[in-house]
Amino acid sequence: MIEISGLAKRFEVENPKKLSEQEKKDPRLKGRYFQSVRDVSFSCEKGQVLGLLGPNGAGKTTTLRMLSTALRPDSGKVIIDGEDVLANPNIARKKIGFLSSSTGLYGRLSGRENISYFGELHGLSKAIINARIEEMADLLDMQHFLDRRAENFSSGMKQKVSIARAVIHDPALVVLDEPTTGLDIMATSTVMEFIQRLKDKGTPVIFSTHHLDEVQALCDKVTVINQGETVFNDSLEAFSALSGGHMHQSFLKTLSLDVEEKSNVVNL
Amino acid sequence: MWLIFKKEFKELLRDRKTIIFMIGLPLLLFPAMFGVAFFFMSSAADKAENEVLKYAIVGEAFAPNIVQSFSDASDKFESVDIGDEADYAKLIKNETLDFVLVIPETFNSDVLASGQHSLELYLNDAGLNKVVGRVSKIIDEYSNAFQKEAFTQLNLNETQQTALLKPIEIVKNNVADDREVWGERLGGMLPYFIFILCLQGAMAPAADLGAGEKERGTLETLLISPMDRYKLVLGKFVTICMAGIITALITVSSMAIWGLILSQGMAVEFVVEVMSMIGIVDFILIFLMLVPVVAVFAAVLLSLSIYARSFKEAQSYMGSLIMVVIFPVLIAMMPGVELKGGWVWVPLTNVALAMKELFKGTMDYFALFGIFTSTAVIAVALIMFCIHWFNKEKVLFR
Repeated sequence: MIEISGLAKRFEVENPKKLSEQEKKDPRLKGRYFQSVRDVSFSCEKGQVLGLLGPNGAGKTTTLRMLSTALRPDSGKVIIDGEDVLANPNIARKKIGFLSSSTGLYGRLSGRENISYFGELHGLSKAIINARIEEMADLLDMQHFLDRRAENFSSGMKQKVSIARAVIHDPALVVLDEPTTGLDIMATSTVMEFIQRLKDKGTPVIFSTHHLDEVQALCDKVTVINQGETVFNDSLEAFSALSGGHMHQSFLKTLSLDVEEKSNVVNL
Repeated sequence: MWLIFKKEFKELLRDRKTIIFMIGLPLLLFPAMFGVAFFFMSSAADKAENEVLKYAIVGEAFAPNIVQSFSDASDKFESVDIGDEADYAKLIKNETLDFVLVIPETFNSDVLASGQHSLELYLNDAGLNKVVGRVSKIIDEYSNAFQKEAFTQLNLNETQQTALLKPIEIVKNNVADDREVWGERLGGMLPYFIFILCLQGAMAPAADLGAGEKERGTLETLLISPMDRYKLVLGKFVTICMAGIITALITVSSMAIWGLILSQGMAVEFVVEVMSMIGIVDFILIFLMLVPVVAVFAAVLLSLSIYARSFKEAQSYMGSLIMVVIFPVLIAMMPGVELKGGWVWVPLTNVALAMKELFKGTMDYFALFGIFTSTAVIAVALIMFCIHWFNKEKVLFR
């Protein structure tokens, strides 16, 4: 059970003069600070998959980074299985598996070494790591390339290794930041199968995406963030019911709840 | 921490680029550089010594003997005819001639009667040449002969002759031994090389370990691994230190080995002598002093690297760091700056000075305390800063 409430994060603006006209119009800009995330709350039960939606710059990545402890929120709470993430980041880190589309691998290490390095960082023993790698190599069909250097991998191979790396420690929660952005169809379906497998296993998954078909196929819950605030947070059924089963319309509808932001929606 | 070090080092060793910079370059480039420089130097000197010089003598009639001597040495000099009104400078510039010797009409062997003779030599003295030396070799014979003749005429004995040539002579007695003399010369240059090399060797891995991690997108996953930040920093830091020290060691030994090979038959004994004068303890001390220095470099490099958004940015920051490092070393090379008083506490400069003193064998071993303390304090402070830096979101997610 994951609970996120009232999350907020602001960044200092290095040079306010450099901002574009559109950026200056953003209501989140307050003096020298940019309120990237203002008030984000959602929760996810065991075995549920939560889809995080929102236009570019809405604060999705910042939210997920706070959830995965890479960033420290200014206020708000993140609780995973009763553990306060902000108070004990190192304990929480063991419970989270994180992956984004921009996550890379160490090119000069082999796929196997990449995975086991993170296993060791998580304090796992060699035996457990090797067993887990074997298991996942069969599952993700990686046996034939696992011992080659990662720098020559195709994007699909890289994504498979990244997936294995993210779950080597058998996390209680998997966080994915736009895991399919920039991937080809094969690699995308690998990711989708991986999420489905986690769901079957009962591991909760929170992922952000721009693809509504992914949401429809996998998610139990949908959260929409716009301008750093949660504007929708309910089940997939409730989401699609917003516009009679039409996902695209539903999404636009959630955004236009903020009346002033209609212009932004058109830009999408 | 060791886990991180182990992985980073493994990765480092697999990087062909780093290996080339760390090992290949110092191992091969230095001997190649020295070899080429040495070859050109010696062949140029050889040429200047043996090339046939084209000359003209004005006023041949006044000193037929000298003219004869030049034409006798036809394997080294070649006479060229020029008119009476020729422009010497122009002829020499367009390389028709190498030199022109003008003999005055008053020239004769009785110097007691005529006084000193001045022969004018026109030549292009820019660049390497041995014209003056080779001309005076011939002229000196006559000069000596004239001198002898004059002495005989005056009826002077040997003692009187010597006394007349140089009435008072200063006899120099150098109390500094060979080691101090050579230590001063070599010891001043050595820290300069070693510092730059340590820095250079640590640079490539430092850029890779900080900015490279950002660029590849592996930093985020590393940050959310359940490993304390200070351990991450220390692991990376030790890797960079190792790279710097290894580069320095390889370079210094490569310089020594190739120096020995190239100087084979020339000054081997001299090199061996200098080396043997510097005890093993001194070498160990030099090495030990390098450790905190490299730590300072590594901490600064890592801080710069993690601040940079990309590999390129990191490298441009680091490039300017070289200038900063050269400055304190240059101070140590200036005359008058010695390992005394306040200088003992000036970082980098004190280590450079101490290396010189160790080479000279005049080390004041109490100064080591100041050197180690000041450098270690700075190193620790910089590492702390680096850890603090690694905890700043503004730096990590720029």
